[in-house]
Amino acid sequence: MSTPTVKPKAMIQDNTRCIGCRACMVACKSWNDRPEDHTDFFAGNGYQNPRDLDANNYTLITFNEIVTGAQPDWVFGRQLCMHCEKPACASACPTTAMFKTDLGPVVFDESRCIGCRACMQACPFIIPKYDYESFAPKIHKCTFCADRLEVGLEPACATVCPTGAITFGDRDDMVTEAKRRIAAAPGTYIPEIYGLEEVGGTSVLHLSSVPFEQIGYITGLPKTPMPDLTHRWLRMTAPVFAVLYAVFGALNWIVRRRMRRERSEGEHSAG
Amino acid sequence: MTNHWIDMLNADVVLIMGGNPAEDHPIAMNWLARAKEQGTYILHVDPRFNRTSSIADVFAKLRSGTDIAFVGGMINYAIEHNRIQEEYVREYTNASWIVGDDYNFADGLFAGYDPKSRRYDRSRWAFALDAQGQPRRDPSLKHPRCVFQLLKQHFSRYDADAVCGITGTPKENYLRVCDLYTSTFAPDRAGTWLYAMGTAQHSHGTQNIRSYAILQLLLGNIGVAGGGVNAMRGESNVQGSTDQGLNNDGLPGYLKMPVEADVDLKGYLKRVTPVAANKESANWLQNTPKYVVSLLKAWWGEHATNENDFDFAYLPKLGRGFQGQGYAFLALTHAMLAGEVKGLFCFGQNPAVGGANARLIRAGLDKLEWLVVADLFEHETASFWKRPGIDPARIPTEVFVLPASSGVEKEGSIVNSGRWAQWRFRAVKPIANCRPDLDIVDGLAHAMKRAYEKDGVFPEPIRGLTWDYGHEADPHRVARELNGRFLVDVTEKDGKAYGAGKQVPGFAQLRDDGSTMSGNWIYCGGYTEEGNLAARREMTDTPNNIGLHPKWGWVWPMNRRILYNRASVNRKGEPFNPRKWVIRWDAENKKWEGDVPDGAMPPGEMNPFIMLASGVGQLYSPDLVDGPFPEHYEPVESPVKNPFSTTQSSPCAQIWQSTEFDRYGKPDVFPIVATTYRVSEHWQTGAMSRNMPWLVGLVPNAFVEIGAALAKREGIKNGDRVIVSSARGSIEVYALVTERFQPFFIEGRMIDEIGIPWHWGYAGIVPGDIANDLTASVGDPNSQIPETKVFLCNIKRKDRA
Amino acid sequence: MNNENDMRRKHGTDRANDEPLQPTRRQFLKGLTTGTVAIGALTQSGCGPAIPPLKTRGATATTTVCPFCGVGCGQVVSTRAGKVINIEGDPAHPISEGTLCSKGAAAIQVVNNPRRLQKVLYRAPGGMAWEEKSWDWALERIAARVKETRDKTFQTSVDGRVVNRTEAIACLGGSALDNEEAYLLVKLMKTLGLVYVEHQARL
Repeated sequence: MSTPTVKPKAMIQDNTRCIGCRACMVACKSWNDRPEDHTDFFAGNGYQNPRDLDANNYTLITFNEIVTGAQPDWVFGRQLCMHCEKPACASACPTTAMFKTDLGPVVFDESRCIGCRACMQACPFIIPKYDYESFAPKIHKCTFCADRLEVGLEPACATVCPTGAITFGDRDDMVTEAKRRIAAAPGTYIPEIYGLEEVGGTSVLHLSSVPFEQIGYITGLPKTPMPDLTHRWLRMTAPVFAVLYAVFGALNWIVRRRMRRERSEGEHSAG
Repeated sequence: MTNHWIDMLNADVVLIMGGNPAEDHPIAMNWLARAKEQGTYILHVDPRFNRTSSIADVFAKLRSGTDIAFVGGMINYAIEHNRIQEEYVREYTNASWIVGDDYNFADGLFAGYDPKSRRYDRSRWAFALDAQGQPRRDPSLKHPRCVFQLLKQHFSRYDADAVCGITGTPKENYLRVCDLYTSTFAPDRAGTWLYAMGTAQHSHGTQNIRSYAILQLLLGNIGVAGGGVNAMRGESNVQGSTDQGLNNDGLPGYLKMPVEADVDLKGYLKRVTPVAANKESANWLQNTPKYVVSLLKAWWGEHATNENDFDFAYLPKLGRGFQGQGYAFLALTHAMLAGEVKGLFCFGQNPAVGGANARLIRAGLDKLEWLVVADLFEHETASFWKRPGIDPARIPTEVFVLPASSGVEKEGSIVNSGRWAQWRFRAVKPIANCRPDLDIVDGLAHAMKRAYEKDGVFPEPIRGLTWDYGHEADPHRVARELNGRFLVDVTEKDGKAYGAGKQVPGFAQLRDDGSTMSGNWIYCGGYTEEGNLAARREMTDTPNNIGLHPKWGWVWPMNRRILYNRASVNRKGEPFNPRKWVIRWDAENKKWEGDVPDGAMPPGEMNPFIMLASGVGQLYSPDLVDGPFPEHYEPVESPVKNPFSTTQSSPCAQIWQSTEFDRYGKPDVFPIVATTYRVSEHWQTGAMSRNMPWLVGLVPNAFVEIGAALAKREGIKNGDRVIVSSARGSIEVYALVTERFQPFFIEGRMIDEIGIPWHWGYAGIVPGDIANDLTASVGDPNSQIPETKVFLCNIKRKDRA
Repeated sequence: MNNENDMRRKHGTDRANDEPLQPTRRQFLKGLTTGTVAIGALTQSGCGPAIPPLKTRGATATTTVCPFCGVGCGQVVSTRAGKVINIEGDPAHPISEGTLCSKGAAAIQVVNNPRRLQKVLYRAPGGMAWEEKSWDWALERIAARVKETRDKTFQTSVDGRVVNRTEAIACLGGSALDNEEAYLLVKLMKTLGLVYVEHQARL
C-alpha cells in the first residue's frame, strides 16, 4: 500500500510575543490529563512554577527579569521537547519505546518503557522526566500532541496561545517564517533561531529578543546530531566484531589445526 | 466599550492605562499582537512593569492615583501642539459652547462648592443661553468663555514638569507617550484607549475616565474604527448584568430607579426624560417613557394600565439611603454592620473577600439574621460563620447555600465587554443536585407568590407579578421577554402592521401607551421574529472589512458595533478616514452602508452623540457631581502634598468614618503606597480559580510584590513571609521581590509602591490572607466605586513585625 | 541497536483523507449550526499504542463562552455519556479563534470538580456544621424568612410620600449570571421592594 507523502511539522516559539500567560501549560495538562503541582510559593524566578519540567509538566514558561539601566524588562521563554530530527533519546532507548514519526513528533510507547532513564541521560536539552511518585514509574515528555496531529489538529499549546507566540505548520514553512520575522524586524529579534541547527536540527524553532542563555535555554550545543556522535563509533561495532570474529576465528582455526596435527604426529610417533 | 475587541486591530496607537490585559484579558493580546505586527504602537502606563508591559513599545510608570495628572498633561500637550482634529472638535463636541458667567475654578475647587455637604451646586456650571434658550456658541473657538478656551486654560497647569513631578514618570517616556498618542489626531489615524479597574477604583475614578473621553474627543477618536473609550470588563457577564439593572439606582436598560419625589409616573418621567439642548440634538432618550411603560407592562402585565400609572407605584422608591449616603455597596456594608440589614442574598458574589474594607464586611455578615448564597463552590462568604478566629456559637445567622450550575450546565446569553451578546448552549445536565440560577430565581419567585397568597404587607406587586417561564424555567421565554412583544395589533405610521403576540423588531417600535411590553429596551431587537440573534455564528463581515462581523451574536443597541459612529463621517456622510470607514452615506440609494448607523437619519444637521441631551461630545460636562473638568487630586490616603492646589483629595469623595473599621492612615506610620491587582491565573476572589487544582498549582499562595530597593532596606528576600499593614488591618503573605516595581521620585524623595493580588481568602484549596482587609471604604462621588487601587501601608518581615 | 532508519517508524496505512478540523490558526469550521456537532468522528490509521486515538473521538461537541473575564472567548465542550471530557477553544470564534488563557484552558475543572457544591446546605442559627436539605424545603424556608423580614420592615410611605420599599433585605450579585438570570433577579428583587441591589460592577 502506498503511503502519501507526509510533510514533517514544526513549531515556532516566538518569545517576543509571549506574555507569560501560561495557557500553554494548562492546555497541555488538560489534553494530557496531568495532575496539578503542589508548591507553597513560586519555585522559580518571578511567577515561574514549577521550577523545571517534570512528569506533570510537559512544558514550562520561564520568567526572566532583565534590567537595562533603569529600564526593567520581563522576558519569557518556554521549555518543551524539541522533537529533534535525530533524537538522542530514541537512539539511546533500549526498547524502542521512543521513536520519531514522519509527522515530526518524537513519541514514546509507554507500554515499552522500562523506566531505565537512558533517554534522560542522552537528551541534550534535558527534557524527558521521570515519574518519581509512581510505583511503576515511566518517562514523561511532550509528544507534540501526536494524536491531534494525526487528525489534522494542532498541538494543544499551539491552539491555545493567545498571542500567536506559538505557530505550527510544515517545517519548511516554519523555517521560512522564522527567518522572515527576523529579517523583517531586526531590532526586535536577535539573529538566531534556536533549534534550527542544534544537534542536527529540531522541530521547535525558538525566537528571542535577548540571548537565549538569559532566558533559561541550554546553549553551546553542537550542530552534530547526538546519535551521530556515538553512531560514528557504534556502527563500527558490527564490523569490528566481524573482524574480530574473523581474526579470532582464523586464529582458532590455525591453532586447532596445529593442535590436531600435533596430536596426529604424536599418535604416529607412538606407533 | 464604545468599540469592541477585534476593533483593536484598526488602531494605529493603543494606550493601555489602569489595565493589564496580558494578565486579565489575555485574548485581547491576540488583537494587540497582530496590530503590533502591522506597525501599531502599544503604550502601557502603569505603576508596575507587568506582563502587558513586556510587549509594549513604551512603558511609562505612574504612581497610583495620578492618572488625571498624566492625561491632563496629554490634553495640554495636544492643545499646545495643535494636535486637534479640528472639524470633529468644532462640529461634534461642545468646544464652541459658551459657559455661563457663574462658572469659575480656583485652587482645586469649582464654583458652587459647599464644604459642609461636600457637594457642588451644579447650576453654577450651566451654559450661557441665548434669547431662544439655546446654548450660545462661538464656532471660531476663540471666545474666552467658550469650552475650548476654558479647557485650555484649565489644563495649562499640566505641563510636562508638573506632571512628571507628581506622577514619578520619567519625562522621556511621558513625552514619548504624548507624542505617539496625540499623533492620532490626524483623520486617517486612530487611537484606542483600553482601561479597567486601575482607572475606575479611585475616589475620582469617574473623572479619570472623563479625562480619557476628553482627550479622545479632541483627537477625533470616538465613533471611529480603532478608537473609542474601551473598558475591559472583568467578568463574563458584568456588562449584561449591569445592562439588566442589577444596581441600586437602575432598572433594566439604564433607566433610573424612582426616588421619593417621583410621586407619580408623570412626575418620574418628567425628571428622567432629558430635553434636547437644541434642535440639532436627536436626544434619543426623549423616548424614555416608551421604555419605562414597556418595562412596567413586562412586570405587571394586564393589570398595569394607563389608569393606574401602569403600576408605577409598585416600584420601590430610593430614599437618602444609609446615613444619607445612598444604597450602593459601601453604604450597604455599613448598613449591615449597623444591623439594619437583616437578610442578604449573594448570587455568585463573595463580598467577604471582594469588597473594600473586608473586615468590616465580615463583621457585617455576623449581624445578619439570614443569608442565602447561590454559588459553585463553598467560598468565604458562605462559610463566614466558621471562619478562622470566630466561634460559630456566637453567630446567629441562618445560612442557606444553594448549589448552582456552571456555565456548561445551562443555557442562556452573556455579553462581553464589546456589548456582544452570545448564546451559550448546554453541554451537560446540571451535576449532582445543582440548579441553574434561572431555576433558583424562578423557584424563589413561585415560593414568594405562595407565601403572599393569603396575607402579608403590600402583597399586590408580588401577587400581580407576571411570572410564567414554564414548568422548568425556559431561558428562551425570558430572552423573548427581554426583547419584548406587541400586546395588541399595532399599525405603525409607515403602515407596517404587527399582530398581537409578535416580537417587537426594535426599540423604535416600543410605545408608551401600553401596547408593547419589553423587559429591557436596549435588548429589543435581539430576539425577534427572526429568532435568537445572540445565537448566530456567521463570520461574514461588512464591506468595510473592519472586523464588525455583524452576524456573529447580537450587539446592543440594534446590532450597532461601534457607538457614535456618525462622528466618523462629516456632515455629508463622507468618512474622515476612507481607508477604515465605519459608515458612509450612499447618496444614490439614500442609505447608509457599513455598521448600523447611530441614528438612521440622513447626514446633515443632526449631531452624532444621540444619547446625550446635548447631542455632542462633552469636553465640559456639567453632569458629573464633582466637576465639569477633571482635576488632579491626591488619593484620600497619600504620602504627598497635592502640588496643583490646596484641595488635597477629592472634595466630594465619599469618605466613611462612622465605624471602628473606618480608619485612615498617615504617611509617618504608613509611608508606602499600596495597590491591588490580579494575576492571570486566578480570577476575582478565587471562589472558582482557587478550587481549580491546575490554577492553584501555577500560583499557589498569596503574595505581595515589592521592589528590590525596598526589599533590601527591609531585609526582605524573595520568598520571605512578610506582614503588610494599613490603618484597617494587617495580612501575612509571601514576598516576591522584583525589579519591575521601582520607586517614584516625587517632591524630592523616593516614594515606594507595592502591589497585592487580592485573590485569596480562608476557603479554597490554598487559603491566604485577604488583601481587601487593608483597603478603605472610600467611594467615588459619582459611582460610589471604592478606592481599592491606592492606599497607604507599611511592610515588615514577619520576624521583625 | 537501532540504525537511522529504524528511528522513524513509518505510519501504517493511509491516513484518513478527511478535512482537517482545525487546520491552521485562521481557518474556521464550516457549517457549524447552532447546537451540537460531532467532532472527532474520524477514522484513524492504525499507528499502534504509541499514538492513542484522539480522546474526543466520537464525542458530542457543544459551543459555549468562557465563564471568566469579559472578552467572551468561544469554547467547545466535548462530552461523552453525559460527562465533560474536554474543553478547549472554539476555532470558529472571531475574537478568540481557538485560543484561551490559563483560566479558560482549565475550565474543565469548573465542572469536573469534587469540590463543587453538590447539595443544598443549611446552617441553623448558632449551628456548628452544615446540614443537607432538599430544594423544596430550602426555597419555602427562604421565602418564609424573606416574607417575615419584609413584612416587619416594609415602608409603604415616609413623610407622606409613597416609597414601598424595604431597606432590611439586600441582594448582591452576580456578574457571571446569564442575562436571563440577572433580569429575573432584578425583576423579583425590585418587585419585593428591595433597594439594596448591587453586584460586582463596582468591584
